[in-house]
Amino acid sequence: MATTSKQYKAIGEDLWKSRTEKINSELFALTYGALVVQLIQDYEDYAEVNKQLEKMGYNIGTRLIEDFLARSSLGRCSDFREVGEVVAKVGFKSFLNITPAVTHSAAPPPSSRPSSAAQQSGVPGSSFILTLDENPLAEFVELPDEALEGGLWFSNVLCGVLRGALEMVQMQVQVEFLSDVLRGDESTEIRVTLLKYLEEEVPVGDD
Amino acid sequence: MSHHLFLLSPSDTPIYSLTHYSTKLPQPTSSSLSSNLPTWSTSAFAGTLTALSGASNATQSHHVQGGSVRMGGGQDRHVIQMIANASLDVIEDVMRKESSMYLKSVDKFNEWTVSAFITPGNMKFILLHETKNDDGIRSFFHDVWELYLKTMLNPFHTAHSPIRSIVFDTRVRASAKKYL
Repeated sequence: MATTSKQYKAIGEDLWKSRTEKINSELFALTYGALVVQLIQDYEDYAEVNKQLEKMGYNIGTRLIEDFLARSSLGRCSDFREVGEVVAKVGFKSFLNITPAVTHSAAPPPSSRPSSAAQQSGVPGSSFILTLDENPLAEFVELPDEALEGGLWFSNVLCGVLRGALEMVQMQVQVEFLSDVLRGDESTEIRVTLLKYLEEEVPVGDD
Repeated sequence: MSHHLFLLSPSDTPIYSLTHYSTKLPQPTSSSLSSNLPTWSTSAFAGTLTALSGASNATQSHHVQGGSVRMGGGQDRHVIQMIANASLDVIEDVMRKESSMYLKSVDKFNEWTVSAFITPGNMKFILLHETKNDDGIRSFFHDVWELYLKTMLNPFHTAHSPIRSIVFDTRVRASAKKYL
């Protein structure tokens, strides 16, 4: 049953409102900031820090998806486009109270024919881009010059969360930052690309 | 009419300093940390410099008019810093008695008045100014305080390191333009 974008928004809003344990955003931003700064001091290599943030996010994501699915009781998404909608309107809304804009793009076809929209659903290679207009993790943050040069993606943990969560629902994705306002770009963008569907089901019971 | 602002950490290390030329008079504000003071401002120091260096009046006025601003600028900078440092003792004395944050003018040196503002975290904001402008200075201090708070919340800023952020600098200048 196709759920419209408005319904997703309403679901997201409800989930956010029904959550009783909310935390002060300043505390959250400060904690995350302290974490990133400590990682930088420990590893001293910004690429490595990015990797570690992503790994941490992955661990969070694998656990988060259970909570999300339990609360939202949404069914399986019919195609990757729907995945993007749910992630942006319900997922981000219920956990961070932000609704990033989603832009979908079809997979580049193997031949040189122009891609048609019908090809898009579920084809590995299709992707969507989330554009965050505000980022609660990066409140008050200004990157120093070394971090800018070193290529630090401050909110890289979000990439890991998306990767971990989607992997638990049998989608292997590649998530990366395209731009970040902290680095002086115009907007903060994350691209999620579907690599493949994971077919191996975990055997249930004692077969 | 120029103002000098210094932010000092609790351990008296300089965190930030700014020189600002008031825009109450229609003059371009060309403030920069290492700028040399233009001639019209150097004249303000004539009295101070004379008292300190003991040079003759003729020499001083020659400096003022002759436009050897470069040398004048360097000396003035030292004088300013000396005044600011000297006022620290006075500030600490007043600090113990006064419970409010804004200490009005704590010190006077020739034509320069020193006003201070102590934050709850023991950061000292010191402003050297020539004119009396209590309300404007109080609002300016409050503005700088808020900007400073935002900087402190940046995880990349450590408590006693100098503030190098351009955003902070721009905003302090804008606030100075507004209130001073």
